[in-house]
Amino acid sequence: MTGKIAIVGAGPSGCFLAQALLKAAPDLEVDLIDALPVPYGLVRYGVAADHQGTKAVTRQFARVFERQGARFFGNLCIGRDISLDDLRAAYDVVVLAAGMSVDNRLGVPGGDLEGVYGAGRITRALYEHPDAEALPDLGSHPLIVGNGNVAIDLLRLLAKQPEELAGSDLGPGPSDWLARSGIETITVTGRSPAARAKFDPVMIKELAKLGGVSIRVIGAGEAPDDEAAKRLDALAVIDGHGDGPRKIDFRFELTPAEVLGAAGKVTGMRFSTAAGDAQHIACSSVLTAIGFGPADDLPREALIAAAADREAGALAPGLYATGWFRRGPRGTIPDNRADAQALAGRILAEISASPAKPGRGLFDGRPGIVDYDGWCRIDAAETAAPSQGRCRIKIPTRTGMTMAAIEGATSR
Amino acid sequence: MKISILYGTETGNAEMLAEDIQAELDAAHDVTCDNLADTDPTALDPTRFYLLVCSTYGDGELPASAQPFAEAIDKAGPDLSNVHFAIFGLGDSEYHETFNGGPKRLAELMIARGARQIGDRIAHDASGPDLAEDIAFPWAEQVLAEAEERLGAPA
Ligand SMILES: Cc1cc2nc3c(=O)[nH]c(=O)nc-3n(C[C@H](O)[C@H](O)[C@H](O)COP(=O)(O)OP(=O)(O)OC[C@H]3O[C@@H](n4cnc5c(N)ncnc54)[C@H](O)[C@@H]3O)c2cc1C
Ligand SMILES: Cc1cc2nc3c(=O)[nH]c(=O)nc-3n(C[C@H](O)[C@H](O)[C@H](O)COP(=O)(O)O)c2cc1C
Repeated sequence: MTGKIAIVGAGPSGCFLAQALLKAAPDLEVDLIDALPVPYGLVRYGVAADHQGTKAVTRQFARVFERQGARFFGNLCIGRDISLDDLRAAYDVVVLAAGMSVDNRLGVPGGDLEGVYGAGRITRALYEHPDAEALPDLGSHPLIVGNGNVAIDLLRLLAKQPEELAGSDLGPGPSDWLARSGIETITVTGRSPAARAKFDPVMIKELAKLGGVSIRVIGAGEAPDDEAAKRLDALAVIDGHGDGPRKIDFRFELTPAEVLGAAGKVTGMRFSTAAGDAQHIACSSVLTAIGFGPADDLPREALIAAAADREAGALAPGLYATGWFRRGPRGTIPDNRADAQALAGRILAEISASPAKPGRGLFDGRPGIVDYDGWCRIDAAETAAPSQGRCRIKIPTRTGMTMAAIEGATSR
Repeated sequence: MKISILYGTETGNAEMLAEDIQAELDAAHDVTCDNLADTDPTALDPTRFYLLVCSTYGDGELPASAQPFAEAIDKAGPDLSNVHFAIFGLGDSEYHETFNGGPKRLAELMIARGARQIGDRIAHDASGPDLAEDIAFPWAEQVLAEAEERLGAPA
């Protein structure tokens, strides 16, 4: 089978899709296009710096380029550098696997105060995404709103002592920022009861390895079923853990009502409890880990609303969606794999190739594109001389990356 | 020898390794490679040597693609007393208490139904320095040598 397929987004969804397509039909031309000069999406810029084992999935993705013949076109933003219409005209099939990256807003009075930051903003800055804003001063008592895995990742990183980051790929700037944070207390709040919190129990149990903390779990309540019992068991394991100087409090059934501030700075939060009472918690900053929405480079909402078969990811003839872009910001890497494998079957059943279409010829002569070999040079530069107990030192800027892509390991 | 590689996976690492092992053994043996999700435990063939390659999830539990197989063993209670297998794990020592727990559970299930394990249950550590195939290829060679003795005539 032949045909030209462009996948927009080289995160796990795009890579798993290319893997499945080329496994079934090795003669397809599959191009992975990413707005960044580097592939792998949130595996590089979302999965925690101290969870390197999870990032090892990129070994499979490297094979998609090295052995299965997929091509990488990095540093090319669809919707900005090239329109979606032009891309569709050039390829037989276009698949949107662009993820979701914009932090959901808290949507309460005071939610836009200085000192309220989304988890995406903070994790991008921690993991040195080239478009990240600077890391802000969180003060001595950040409060995390949200009970998903992203909230727990954030908590763990903020709570870690410098030596607990050995073997990670947290960069020198963010490592220094963490070491000097001056954080004394971290409060984690969830809207649901603990029994229905979204975190994975193993993420909670991992906190029992932290050295510099003392953890309290307040009001975890009862478990109505086995699933909930696993969550409460995990919380019971960490309740009372440690006698370190950094205090961590877990609280539940608190619905955000208002961020309180004085002189434009956050001083606390008001919640409403399950019983409908108001509860105030003092804090110096608010970190929201309450989900993500789409970026505005692609008209996601309109495309999804008009989809021919949204569940299957079929948007329009020759246009498909997969991963977080299709489903919303839920689900782990394995979920994206299952999603991509199902979509590959559908695409293979529906593709009709027009040999006259130029495919990747559309990008001929465009300056600044980083190809897979360019990424390999960036990768080599980042891993050539890792120091200070790090497995990788990321190049934090777009210019630095594109230079390393051309010049190789000497450009740092 | 007739070899069936069966993998249990969530993100595909075990599948990739299973395919690598297949490619490594293909020249000298008759090798198939399948997902545990597509394998019926009541139809295992005593003339084949089974190489299981399986990751671990949750809290030392089996990955999604191995769960239907484990449930089918539980439910059907097949007699596996003539079945020989070896098992290789993919895990992450970050989860130190439950490291390689999935393959442990899978091996126990098979052994409880009479299957004979050959060689040790060893594992790749995603947080360690080694590539999975660098550990798995020597392991495969060794368990194959043992299996050839036990199962008799090489094919
Ligand atoms: C902080 C955080 C931590 C996480 N930790 C884990 C974890 O430990 N384990 C786990 O299993 N899951 C984790 N997840 C979930 C996991 O990251 C997602 O399930 C997965 O990354 C979604 O894959 P995707 O390919 O759909 O999107 P993404 O990974 O977001 O990839 C989308 C890609 O598209 C590119 N792109 C976007 N717009 C355009 C455009 N207009 N043109 C070209 N390219 C574009 C982006 O640059 C990006 O590379 C985490 C998520 C977050 C946010
Ligand atoms: C949520 C989660 C839980 C995990 N739990 C364990 C565990 O308890 N024990 C272990 O050894 N490995 C554990 N792992 C590591 C995986 O088994 C390892 O990453 C493996 O390479 C995945 O292989 P797969 O892609 O074939 O599923 C876990 C990984 C994740 C993402």
